[in-house]
Amino acid sequence: MEQSYIRVCDVEKYYGSGTAVAKAVDRVSFRVDKGEFVGVMGPSGSGKTTLLNMLSTIDSVTAGHIYYETVDITELSEDKLSEFRKENLGFVFQEYNLLDTLTIEENILLALSLHQREKREVLSRCREMLDLLGIDDVRDKFPYQVSGGQKQRCACARALVNRPKLLLADEPTGALDSRSAQTLLETFTDMNSRLEATIFMVTHDAFSASYCGRILFLKDGQIFHELRRGRKSRREFLNEILDVLSLTGGELSDAQ
Amino acid sequence: MLSKLALRNVMRSARDYLVYFLTMMLVTAIMFAFHSLLFSREIQQLFEMAGIFAVLVGMATFFVVLIVAWLINYMVRFILEKRSREFGIYLLIGMKKKEISRLYMRESLLLGAAAFAGGLALGMLLQQILLAILYSMIMMEYRPRLEWSVGCLVTTAACYGGCYLLALLRCRGKFRRMNIHALMSSQKQNEEIRESHEQAKRWLLPLSCLFLLAFALFLFFFKAWDVTVILGFLLGLVVTIYVFYTGVAAWVICYIRRKGKGIFKGQNLFLLRQFSSKLKTLRFTLGTLTSLFVLALLGCAIALMFNDYQNQTLLDKWPFDVMVFSSDTQDAFQEELEVLNRECGVKEALIYDIRQNGTDTVNAWLYSHLKTFGGAYTSADGSLDREALGRDEIWAYYEHDTYLALSDYNRLREMAGLLPVELEEGEFLLHLKERVWDETGDFTGELEIRVDSGSEEPGDSAEPGSGTAEHSSRLRPAGVYTEPLSQDGHNGADYLLIVSDRTAERMTPYYRLLTANLEGRAPDDLLRKLDALPSKRTSTTPFGGHQENMDMACGTDNIVVYVVANIVRDNLIPEVKFMLSSVIFALVYIGLVFVCVALTVLSVQQLSDSAKYRFRYQVLHQIGLGHREISRVILKQLACFYLCPILFAALISGTMAVYLGWKFNVHTGTHTMAAGYFGLAFLLFLCVYAVYFVVTYVGFLRNALTKA
Repeated sequence: MEQSYIRVCDVEKYYGSGTAVAKAVDRVSFRVDKGEFVGVMGPSGSGKTTLLNMLSTIDSVTAGHIYYETVDITELSEDKLSEFRKENLGFVFQEYNLLDTLTIEENILLALSLHQREKREVLSRCREMLDLLGIDDVRDKFPYQVSGGQKQRCACARALVNRPKLLLADEPTGALDSRSAQTLLETFTDMNSRLEATIFMVTHDAFSASYCGRILFLKDGQIFHELRRGRKSRREFLNEILDVLSLTGGELSDAQ
Repeated sequence: MLSKLALRNVMRSARDYLVYFLTMMLVTAIMFAFHSLLFSREIQQLFEMAGIFAVLVGMATFFVVLIVAWLINYMVRFILEKRSREFGIYLLIGMKKKEISRLYMRESLLLGAAAFAGGLALGMLLQQILLAILYSMIMMEYRPRLEWSVGCLVTTAACYGGCYLLALLRCRGKFRRMNIHALMSSQKQNEEIRESHEQAKRWLLPLSCLFLLAFALFLFFFKAWDVTVILGFLLGLVVTIYVFYTGVAAWVICYIRRKGKGIFKGQNLFLLRQFSSKLKTLRFTLGTLTSLFVLALLGCAIALMFNDYQNQTLLDKWPFDVMVFSSDTQDAFQEELEVLNRECGVKEALIYDIRQNGTDTVNAWLYSHLKTFGGAYTSADGSLDREALGRDEIWAYYEHDTYLALSDYNRLREMAGLLPVELEEGEFLLHLKERVWDETGDFTGELEIRVDSGSEEPGDSAEPGSGTAEHSSRLRPAGVYTEPLSQDGHNGADYLLIVSDRTAERMTPYYRLLTANLEGRAPDDLLRKLDALPSKRTSTTPFGGHQENMDMACGTDNIVVYVVANIVRDNLIPEVKFMLSSVIFALVYIGLVFVCVALTVLSVQQLSDSAKYRFRYQVLHQIGLGHREISRVILKQLACFYLCPILFAALISGTMAVYLGWKFNVHTGTHTMAAGYFGLAFLLFLCVYAVYFVVTYVGFLRNALTKA
């Protein structure tokens, strides 16, 4: 059997201690293949962001293992985790998380500079990403001078510029208007197909989720359902997602 | 409920702005300690010059109050801005602006009062340290005791409270203009970096450097300083200090835009951008801080100069226990000797005449060559410009050259613990102050010392300076001696010409001196008792057929010149040391407060940024930097931000301090390397700096890495 790209094995996460223990993630296991675009959906408090944080090495697991190919990241030291993060992961968050003192271009350059690359290579890769994500005309602007969509595309460019093994996105469209959200999701799909980027996206927006190839539904820290798009059109897949959500009830009513 | 809220907020503010709180405590402590010296009864009783101390410390307090007022004003507004969201919530839940304003005032006053109370306790400790230092500086025994007076407490409270109330009153206006939406959103807004005309602004950096270079060159080589030039340069300096940071920020921005090689190394891009954005937004504050650092460093360097002078030269200034001057050349000093014998007992005493022969060869040479006169009395051919000298009232030298007979000179040397010297007939010795010797070297070869050869009565010689008549003969130089000999008007002013007894006898007695060493230490009031006797300092004496006004000359010493008829070393040294200590204390007082205030502003700024912009470090963490690397980034970022104003201030104050140190050495005869004063001041300064830096760094790490 072919080795999976990412394997999450019986991962648990508890918060608190003594009698006040809250279980955020409860024995979750799944696999992600190379070049997959996986979405995680679930109501507030279902544990989706916790899961993403553990996958992204920002948070530690209470129990279980997470393998990136053959590397078990739950066993790595703090320094090695940083190195791992730098080499293998890219992040896109709802709040963009761009450095406000750097221009759009410099935000991308910084991510490249941390990899000790040659100046020429850094500049050419940066230019390529700026072109690819259509933000070349705002390259010299500061984050506060550009739209939310442009900021998010910059964050996306920064996340992808080092060609990570996995792009982690936490509610990337949460702060965007519908047009910008659509553009960003199309960019994700494009990156996924053209660059074979593996994407792991947390969202509670069904429309965003419809761009994924596979969706994991989380509830009370457990995966309770999984949907695969297969050869379905996006609209069909969206309807399917909405059907699942309607079954889960109340908290996701905004998605209907 | 509001009181409870206020109390909780105060405790939170004291924790969040711990550096500010501690600095206010320290400032109160420093103020209290210095004020307690001002009001100390013992000091007032001990020293005649307690008034000078009061004036100097009072002046220092004035500057300290100004700067503390600025700090409080800055901090009150700063905290107000940081807590704007919280105030927005108060407004939202229905509190009136007046109530919020009152709540904030109450909190600020509580915080201020807590710092004041803590400061008083610390101040008492500091007061003991200051008193111990002061007494050790003036070489008196100190018995620890608490100096406590209502006046001191009221003055400190008035200075401190005044600053606080002023700042709070200014804040009331801000509350009136409050708007809920603006308050709620102000904290969400990040610094907006506006970059425009950076290429042009970049030139401000080389221009600032050029101005500083010109300033340094003018300082060392320009002679004709007048008020316009000085004001022009001071104005230029202030402008330079303020535009320098705009220039540096623009230069860094241009470098980043040019994509210089350095930005592609590690986290340099982040660091350079952080640095330039901070410089841009805080350029005015940084300019003010630099000015404070410059003043503090200069104050500290000057204080060290005085301290050095006190240690190096003051003890040499008066080598004999007692000296009494009399313009009456027949004086037998009976009353003085009676007083001395009665009060203490005389171990050895010498009554002798300083003589003159109507010439002023040495005076003329010194007037036309010493740097202290700045060439004002030098004519085009290098000789003395008598016309210029006549226009000014100069008391540096006596009207005529001052001579001493060899036997008296050797007796004096013996009394000063020096070996006697020998001198042939027809020779002269020059006994010169060491400070003057350092500047002039041996110039006896250039002197034409002519004395009456004995055919005419002394005093009948021709006009001063014309001792080249056929009855006079030229003396040969036989050397120069520079041991301390009390030459501020007593044993000559700056110098004495030593001639053989026979030659001296043919000269006119000029004035008379009593020099004595006592059996033991002089009682504290001996000088007062001698001064109570009728003054013999000035007189009108017949000379060369006309009347001449006779008064003491003072030589060319600066800083401490005691032109008094009576000298009692044991009484004068503590007095002078006290006076010098006053200057030192006042300067250190200002310097210390300025440094603490400036460092507090830097520290609070950084700590507040560390909390507000925590996400920046979280982003760095996400893109692959470990905690250790982020700590290093923070260290570099803080170091750049902390070092920039101090290095710039060091450059300016260093130039000025080296110039002042050089001048100080010229005028006082101290031998410390001119840059030494500054070096030591800078070192002391860095110690205080390091404390603030470490506290800020630790706080910054705690804030930035909590969730990173």
